[in-house]
Amino acid sequence: MAQFYPGTSKVAENRRRFSNPDVELEKLREISDEDVVNILGHRAPGEEYPSVHPPLEEMDEPDDAIREMVVPLDGAKAGDRVRYIQFTDSMYFAPAQPFLRSRAYLCRFRGADAGTLSGRQILETRERDLEKYSKELLETEWFDPARTGIRGKTVHGHSLRLDEDGMMFDMLRRLVFDKDTGKVHAVKNQIGDELDEPVDMGEPLEESVLKEKTTIYRKDGEAYRDDADAVEILHRIHVLRSQGGFCPE
Amino acid sequence: MDIEIFPHRILSANTTEKLLNDLEEVEGIKRMVIQGQRLPSEDINSERRVITVKGEEIDLQVQTGRVILEIEDEEVIDDIRDICEDHLHFGFQIHIGTFIRKQKTVSDKIKYGESLDQISEEMVGLTDQNAQLSERATIIKRKEQ
Repeated sequence: MAQFYPGTSKVAENRRRFSNPDVELEKLREISDEDVVNILGHRAPGEEYPSVHPPLEEMDEPDDAIREMVVPLDGAKAGDRVRYIQFTDSMYFAPAQPFLRSRAYLCRFRGADAGTLSGRQILETRERDLEKYSKELLETEWFDPARTGIRGKTVHGHSLRLDEDGMMFDMLRRLVFDKDTGKVHAVKNQIGDELDEPVDMGEPLEESVLKEKTTIYRKDGEAYRDDADAVEILHRIHVLRSQGGFCPE
Repeated sequence: MDIEIFPHRILSANTTEKLLNDLEEVEGIKRMVIQGQRLPSEDINSERRVITVKGEEIDLQVQTGRVILEIEDEEVIDDIRDICEDHLHFGFQIHIGTFIRKQKTVSDKIKYGESLDQISEEMVGLTDQNAQLSERATIIKRKEQ
């Protein structure tokens, strides 16, 4: 059985849930394909995918054993562009956290390239595959409208206090909380261009639900040091890395 | 002495406006500094707007994260705490310390040159070195003046 993450805490359990591709994550909201394309902002909905020309089948490519062995992604087969989606995850109990995202993306999404920074995380892959993965990321437990941001640029906010409505700080205000309906609407795409129509992202999750779902260790939630198993494995990795790196021969 | 009001959430322009107006009523507050994330122009972020404190218009360039106050003595803190409880229902902390620079420095001398002598002591330490003082500081006159 694959081992995804050590630990006996709820946070460790949640990290294993996200990382294990056999676990189907709960779907929390419905976002149409067209809205996903709008939020990504890479092409207009209904527009053809810009791909290589002439098509790959007509190109005279050199013989390559690997190309014959590996089944290409739909996007790679069609010669699509590589495009991205980037998320910022609040330290205030956002469901996913950057390093967890990378671990889980590599386990769940074939052909996807993951890049991690302290507060944000980018997923790069072929355009039509990206749209499929993005839809899953936005509709399921990966996303909370208040604590997760879809931010291609101006990503700052993950470590700041939340605002009065419980939303993560966003300088460009891409996701806006509607006090009358209690719902969050996306009014700009991920790089901050205005959308023609706001996209309903649903209601933010309750604090208690977020604390159940979160994958961040925090002193005011579940502290990392209290998870003895996770700490033990970390120590083991640290010692082995140090010894291995000190004198490899 | 200085105190710092540290709200547990970052404040909207409306709350900031109400808080500052009420704080302005308290005798014994000499200077106030609002610190927080800087915001882009109003058409990008509606939280950036002009607020009115005691009839004086202030361009709120930040989303308020802390309010730093220079006060005359510790007795004022209880009044300030009462006002904060009215507006900051999500919780806050008040810290006592030194948060505003009180003396002119060599950097000030380099920045202002000969005209440093003309800058009053009250204006020292209100903004960071890279900013124009006139863009960031507003003088609100008290009633009796």
